[in-house]
Amino acid sequence: MTQGNVKLERSPYPYTGQVVIERAATQPNVCDARVKIELRNLGLYYENFKALEDINLHIMCNSITAIIGPSGCGKSTALRSLNRMNELIEGARVEGKVIMDGENIYERDYRVVRLRKRVGMVFQRPNPFPKSIYDNIAFGPRLFGVRERNILDCIIEESLRRAALWDEVKDKLRDSALTLSGGQQQRLCIARVLSVQPEVILLDEPCAALDPIATQRIEDLLSELKNEYTIVTVTHNMQQAARISDFTAFFMIENQGEPGRIVEFGETSKIFTNPDDERTEEYITGRFG
Amino acid sequence: MKAGRADRIATIVFWSIGLVSMAILAFIILEIFGRGLVTAVSPSFFAGQPATNQAGGGVGPMIVSSLYLAALTMLISLPVSIGAAIYMAEYAREGKFNNFIRFCLDSLATLPSIVFGIFGLTLFVVTFKWSYCLLAGAFTLALLNLPILLRGAEESIKQVPQTYREASMSLGANRWITIKKVVLPSAMPGVITGTVLPIGRIMGEAAAVIYTTGLFIRAIPLSPFDPAAPLAGYIWYAQTEATVPDYRQIVNGGAAILLILVFLINFSARRFARFYAKRKQLEVKL
Ligand SMILES: Nc1ncnc2c1ncn2[C@@H]1O[C@H](COP(=O)(O)OP(=O)(O)OP(=O)(O)O)[C@@H](O)[C@H]1O
Ligand SMILES: [Mg+2]
Repeated sequence: MTQGNVKLERSPYPYTGQVVIERAATQPNVCDARVKIELRNLGLYYENFKALEDINLHIMCNSITAIIGPSGCGKSTALRSLNRMNELIEGARVEGKVIMDGENIYERDYRVVRLRKRVGMVFQRPNPFPKSIYDNIAFGPRLFGVRERNILDCIIEESLRRAALWDEVKDKLRDSALTLSGGQQQRLCIARVLSVQPEVILLDEPCAALDPIATQRIEDLLSELKNEYTIVTVTHNMQQAARISDFTAFFMIENQGEPGRIVEFGETSKIFTNPDDERTEEYITGRFG
Repeated sequence: MKAGRADRIATIVFWSIGLVSMAILAFIILEIFGRGLVTAVSPSFFAGQPATNQAGGGVGPMIVSSLYLAALTMLISLPVSIGAAIYMAEYAREGKFNNFIRFCLDSLATLPSIVFGIFGLTLFVVTFKWSYCLLAGAFTLALLNLPILLRGAEESIKQVPQTYREASMSLGANRWITIKKVVLPSAMPGVITGTVLPIGRIMGEAAAVIYTTGLFIRAIPLSPFDPAAPLAGYIWYAQTEATVPDYRQIVNGGAAILLILVFLINFSARRFARFYAKRKQLEVKL
């Protein structure tokens, strides 16, 4: 299905149509080979423990960037630093810069709320609110002042359709989101992120709690969504990284107690076929074998 | 073999302990109802006016006093304790100061209620010149119940999974909106069931109310500044001071009514919490 932008522009719904126009005016959505986010010498501390050091990374528009590496090397930490979710953790401190569309998001007067609207996040465990399916997705738009019932209805249908969940839930939008299966819940969480029309979507091992079929659906979804969004995903599944991502960053901790660093970053095809660093090769092949 | 036997013995022991505590409860209930239920259910008693020196007086104004007092107390203490619990669970950094507050609250919770009674008497009744009235009693009981309510609310708020907060914040909600829209609705059933114990305590409290609300009234209290005579206090008064010949009957009937009221409140609070959870589609065990 090559819906993507085409479908959006033909969308009969006032809300999405309006957003498309707004976006086109401010920033062309399709921006091949353009850097969306740049991490410059990013370091991150939890209290006195340094979890990340010297992270330099370019995240390209309309691509999927995969972050891989052994457990505890700081993948989730790096991901959370992209929408400042690490600020919810007491004692977390950042140094360096994260530049999105030319602005450092850690600048003192940068507005976190707007940042989080632009950079949505999907978590490892599906975490729908204990509310109805409808209210789960309406949560974001309501935050930003959308009140009209018919507009909300449109957003909800649109978001659910794009998250490939609409057909399964269209008759029970008022049911609790907690009655859905794990895979459905995760797609609901993706729909919830889509509902606020973000530019970047961060996913932290989105398929870790899912079975192969649900995983397949999410992968298809991500490949489709990348036409409109910039996607960064953490994964432990090498095949998944190889299948869906355009760029791959390999994180690692050299020695116990040291911060995580980037060993290698580049196009996925290169990382997986002909990596520069032998540690990358070891990790990838170790996981394959 | 041996483990199996130990297991069997443990089962029997715990089962018996459970049975004994149930038996004690049943005994108390039967004893009180046996003595007072007949009096309690007669309209001239539960709806009647109290008498001053002849037999046949009722406890109507006292029941109203008890319910009124409980409602006023909750009205005062719930917002305060929920607010403070939000602060402690969501805003305050865990550390010395928070622990110090908890220590103070726990100490407050262990103070004998007579101390609160005397405090209420000197502050509200005398210093504020409210004289004996519902409001003085309500404030006193609010102080008395603040620790339990606050700790209960704090626990309920802390039990709301962190993932809800993360989801909300990651969508761009700020802290307050997250609390209002996500955390509080999820914590509410717990908070509601957490009020059951304090309400029971308010209804049963005699020592703190006899110094603050008054002991004997004939008119049903309407304004919060009216004097009142909550049932528990009146039972104490009838037993020790009253001049009516049928004071034993009043005491027994009053005790039965008190028990019924507490059961009813307990039951309806649970039902309400469950209803609320269901309407909000929360998954909670009650
Ligand atoms: N909230 C926290 N407080 C203190 N230290 C933390 C916190 N979260 C993570 N860390 C530490 O930071 C380091 C990186 O953690 P992180 O969760 O980013 O790893 P990860 O690569 O995502 O691991 P996994 O693959 O197991 O999810 C670990 O050493 C971890 O112990
Ligand atoms: Mg992780």
